[in-house]
Amino acid sequence: MTSAYNYTWVYNLAVAKEAKKWWKHGYIEQVQLTAIQQSYQAPFYHPNFTIRILLFIAALFASSGITGFFTLMVADTGRDFISFACIVYGVASFFILEKLFIAKNHFKSGVTEAILYHSCGFVIGGIGGISDFNNVHGILFVCLMVFSFAAFRYLDLLSTMAAILALAGIIFFEFYSLGGIFQQIIPFVFIIVFTPLYFITKSLQKKRELRLWSNNLLIIESISLILIYVAGNYLVVRELSVAMLSLTLQEGEDIPFAFIFYGLTVLIPIAYMYFGIKKKDLVLIRVSLAVIAFSAFTFKYYFSLGHPEITLTIAGIILIGIAIGVMHYLKTPRSGFTRENLLSEKWGSMNVQAFMISQTMGGNQPGVDQSSMPGEGNFGGGGSTNDF
Amino acid sequence: MTKEVPKELFEKGFIDENQFRKLDAITSGKIVSVFYELRTLLYLGVMLFTTGAGILIYLNIGELGHLLSIVALSVITITCFWYAFKYAVDYTHEAVKAPNQYYDYVVLLGSLLFISVQGYIQFQYGFLTENLGFSTLLTAVFFFFVAYRFDHVGVLSLAITALASFWSISVSPQKWYSGNFFSGSHLYNTAIIFSTVLSGIAVALTRREIKTHFTFTYLNFCFLLFFVGSISGLFEGELWSIYLLAIYTGCVFAFYVARWKKSFLFLLYAFVAAYIATTYFLARTIFADAIEIWFLYSIASCGGFIYFIIKYRNYFKQDD
Repeated sequence: MTSAYNYTWVYNLAVAKEAKKWWKHGYIEQVQLTAIQQSYQAPFYHPNFTIRILLFIAALFASSGITGFFTLMVADTGRDFISFACIVYGVASFFILEKLFIAKNHFKSGVTEAILYHSCGFVIGGIGGISDFNNVHGILFVCLMVFSFAAFRYLDLLSTMAAILALAGIIFFEFYSLGGIFQQIIPFVFIIVFTPLYFITKSLQKKRELRLWSNNLLIIESISLILIYVAGNYLVVRELSVAMLSLTLQEGEDIPFAFIFYGLTVLIPIAYMYFGIKKKDLVLIRVSLAVIAFSAFTFKYYFSLGHPEITLTIAGIILIGIAIGVMHYLKTPRSGFTRENLLSEKWGSMNVQAFMISQTMGGNQPGVDQSSMPGEGNFGGGGSTNDF
Repeated sequence: MTKEVPKELFEKGFIDENQFRKLDAITSGKIVSVFYELRTLLYLGVMLFTTGAGILIYLNIGELGHLLSIVALSVITITCFWYAFKYAVDYTHEAVKAPNQYYDYVVLLGSLLFISVQGYIQFQYGFLTENLGFSTLLTAVFFFFVAYRFDHVGVLSLAITALASFWSISVSPQKWYSGNFFSGSHLYNTAIIFSTVLSGIAVALTRREIKTHFTFTYLNFCFLLFFVGSISGLFEGELWSIYLLAIYTGCVFAFYVARWKKSFLFLLYAFVAAYIATTYFLARTIFADAIEIWFLYSIASCGGFIYFIIKYRNYFKQDD
């Protein structure tokens, strides 16, 4: 089995997109771009991002209409029959996706995603329905299989994410249902499973014949890193232990092996950052930034001195300081790092930033209609959802 | 996927050796840009700092040391704008490249602190309490000035938000999902009129080629406000046919703007709004109780729409 999409065309499309980015940043001339686009052609229907979302929504509406029709037909039959019908319907949708859309050169056009998720949903739901929705193991295994299939065959990134989370779910529930000591070693099992997975993914990315799946591998890579961290995070382990393993902690008590989890909460982000900088690996650096924030939150959560506003202010000053410091340090590129924008990313546009700013910080002007209560205006910023 | 592309293109003769060396260094990761990472850090820092400082002042109003912090904040605000003016590039109607990497963030920090300081003065000395609306308007005017003078789209969006809140329209995510988007009665009419007027101004400014890169931000706010406003009006029930017409007019305008600006986000808004409106219209008029028709309707309408977009694909080509 291989991808449903034509290998050469997917590659050509990627080259043409890349060349367009180079052209926008002035690395190549217009003539060169045209020449590259001429010889790397793909007959795909692959519209721009907004149109894809539009098509996705429309296709979801349309397919729910079709589903509605079939629902009316089978509504009066028994539960087993409905479950069976769901599976058939889901599989049939996979065929429709391939024959009606991918065969007509749709490539991640929004319509394809909508039908794909629709198909996955019905197959999984149908199998779940047969087993009465009681069999968590079975459903998770089906999820893993269906989503892996979707990820592999249709190069779909959300399915990739769903598949790896299903895998994590399987590990968790298998060990959870074994009980006893097995429940306590779940964090270590996660680390033992996902660390090799990370390295395997890294080495698979170097394989030329797998370059079609490079984005899927990137997702697996980052989620593995996050899962390794989460499994060792003190807050996650403690709260899950209390919630799921019915662990009751008295005042002054701590979870078993607490010092290990404290250590991991501190060490993993530092390790990510260290290796990220050393290997010039942006995935590691980005993940490390996110998990450092979460580690800080973890420690504030258990060792808080109160005064979140002082924490916020100081954290802000520290972040500004670090950013300015690094920017200053990288005035001239050092050890392969530069502060200049080499190739722009999709979400880097100023318009997106402006919308972010207004939505995170702008919505806190004291409104006129609140003026009857002078003490109520919440000025300050994104934190104004808290009750003061 | 594209790691070896420069090599391949070089071997096929599409790019010359100099270009190959530059591009290969980037795609192979020999040189790594932390541009976005640093920007994100700076942005988060500014956000946390202004939020923290705002709450800090608010919690300690009237206490000792409080005067000190307000003076400190004012000093920082003034310093920010002094810096902004000192390094400002001369005003032009076109987009201006910021004089250095920090510049945009200094302007943003100054503007956000300005909100805190202004809010403080308002509550502490009360001389603006009577005219809360007036002070919001003042903020809006000031932000518009800052946005145009220093060419800052982020501050422009703050200005629009402030102006909207002068008309009691709140455009924040909290309001989006808590549902009380228009807290007062008939505020949706205000929103419709506000967004219509503002989009008219935006189009006029664009026609005169004044800061054309601001148009998107203006229109984005306008369309969101307009469609949410008119849909609220529609569901209010009484004059629904008027709001229905308003939505359709807005959709036509959105279609025109999408074609004109080659940016189809507005088409997305228009589609969702028109779909809600049409469905509402049909529900009130033709089919009240035949459930099968609903399924037929969704298949036919959305299927037809998909067919339309794919058929006229050249119509929807974006300049990106």
